[in-house]
Amino acid sequence: MRLAFVLGEIGSGLRRNLSMVVSVILVTFVSLTFVGAAGMLQMQINQMKGYWYDKVQVAIFLCSEGSTAAGCASGPVTAEQQASLNTLLESPAVAQYVNDFQFESKEEAYNHFKDQFSNSPIVDSVTPDQLPASFRINMKDPEKYQIISETFSSQPGVETVIDQRQLLERLFSVMNGASLVAVSIAGVMIVCAILLIATTIRLSAFSRRRETGIMRLVGASKTVIQLPFILEGVIAAVIGAALASATLWAVAHFFLGEFMSQQYPDTAFISSGQTLILVPALLILGASLAGISSLLTLRRYLRV
Amino acid sequence: MIRFENVTKVYDQKARPALDAVNLEIDRGEFAFLVGASGSGKSTFLRLVLKEDRATSGAVYVAGQNVAKISSWRVPRLRRGIGVVFQDFRLLPQKNVFANVAFAMQVIGKSRSVIRDTVPEVLKTVGLEGKEHRMPHELSGGEQQRVAIARAVVNRPGILLADEPTGNLDPTTSMGIMGVLDKINQNGTTVVMATHDDDIVNEMRKRVVELKNGIVIRDEARALYTSMIPVVGQSRRLKDASGREAPEAGLPGEGEGQR
Repeated sequence: MRLAFVLGEIGSGLRRNLSMVVSVILVTFVSLTFVGAAGMLQMQINQMKGYWYDKVQVAIFLCSEGSTAAGCASGPVTAEQQASLNTLLESPAVAQYVNDFQFESKEEAYNHFKDQFSNSPIVDSVTPDQLPASFRINMKDPEKYQIISETFSSQPGVETVIDQRQLLERLFSVMNGASLVAVSIAGVMIVCAILLIATTIRLSAFSRRRETGIMRLVGASKTVIQLPFILEGVIAAVIGAALASATLWAVAHFFLGEFMSQQYPDTAFISSGQTLILVPALLILGASLAGISSLLTLRRYLRV
Repeated sequence: MIRFENVTKVYDQKARPALDAVNLEIDRGEFAFLVGASGSGKSTFLRLVLKEDRATSGAVYVAGQNVAKISSWRVPRLRRGIGVVFQDFRLLPQKNVFANVAFAMQVIGKSRSVIRDTVPEVLKTVGLEGKEHRMPHELSGGEQQRVAIARAVVNRPGILLADEPTGNLDPTTSMGIMGVLDKINQNGTTVVMATHDDDIVNEMRKRVVELKNGIVIRDEARALYTSMIPVVGQSRRLKDASGREAPEAGLPGEGEGQR
């Protein structure tokens, strides 16, 4: 009976305040979409980091056929050159900066490449010969990259020394910047959403002050009086969060999954399935935003 | 049923207290009028009983409980034991008579079948049989107040507080309302009614508690609206007003038994 009563009150509240409820839905929708976009960018960064980061920090690429670098004038790397590079890496002067290192042959490089771009058509056009062999070095302190670079760049058989972390980091910093922008916009929109929810609940409480006054007098509990208002805000915000979730899924599925992965086949994009883990977070965020702001509003504007 | 022990209520530190060291006891089943000019503290008295406000000092007991000691989540339970009626009826305009009365039962979680049985019974008590489906605007003022009374007593409270329930009604209708309140009182409900209506008080001949500037200046059983016995504090005023000496003591034979 009391549940039916509360549900009836929610229904009448939503109907009476329809335009405000719609605006709450839209504002939470937009703000949570930006929150989710920031989340997706971070997921994309992690996706790319997942393969590269930590595994490899500095790569010494060895000369292969067709290398044009100055150190490769004598042709592809020889076994002796490779052995001497190996000895140099193990020498105390270099070893003190190195956690560990490993040699990656052309075949291994090809296998890694296949793993990373398993769902991309580029795999078919690459052969093991096109990929250079390399030493993969895990640094104790990534900032000491310069030492490795100076030591090895001039060695015979070395094509180039690359701090892959730096290359990736440049891209990641752009993406991080974008997600920061998204988070800032989301922050402003969330403030809007909170204020709008507070105003809506206030109006709703004001338009029903006769009912709530009588409810108090006849001894209705605080829960029965306040719950319809709080749920009103929460329902609107959850609808907004659901719309935001659907939008993010659609972006991942249609934009990243179908359009972007064709434009940039050599990049691993997050899948639409991965965005689904954002859905509960957005729903909880939306519901708690609405719940907390309406609770605070009611404490001020609805005497119980 | 209601006991005030040395209760003082101060709203504004600079102004005089709304209630000043009031001691009063209203027994179970009693019918008491609360009279006095506007600002004499009648409404404050009712608000303190409902725990709408907290007494600045002293203790208010309702049904044996010190209301100051009731935690906020148990206040609804206190209020379920008290019905309240106002001058302006406070009905819900978009609900019919039945729904207005049923509302008081719905919000405290009574089942639909209990509501279906109880509401017509209460409407019969207040004399509104057959008007269950009327809307409030289709009713006269007296009938609207009867609906309000029905709503106040439908949960069978032990106490009924009425704040000038006849303030908007003509004398004949008012007497009808008083009949309803008297009937409810006969059924064992304690009734406390704040009023300005001297005709009603004189007609009913019930206990009268008169407040002035937050002080109880008269408390008589079966009394009239104005006192037959000049009270000590009033004698000087009477003298000043009339310009001649007024007797210090009550007139013999005129005074009702002082409680």
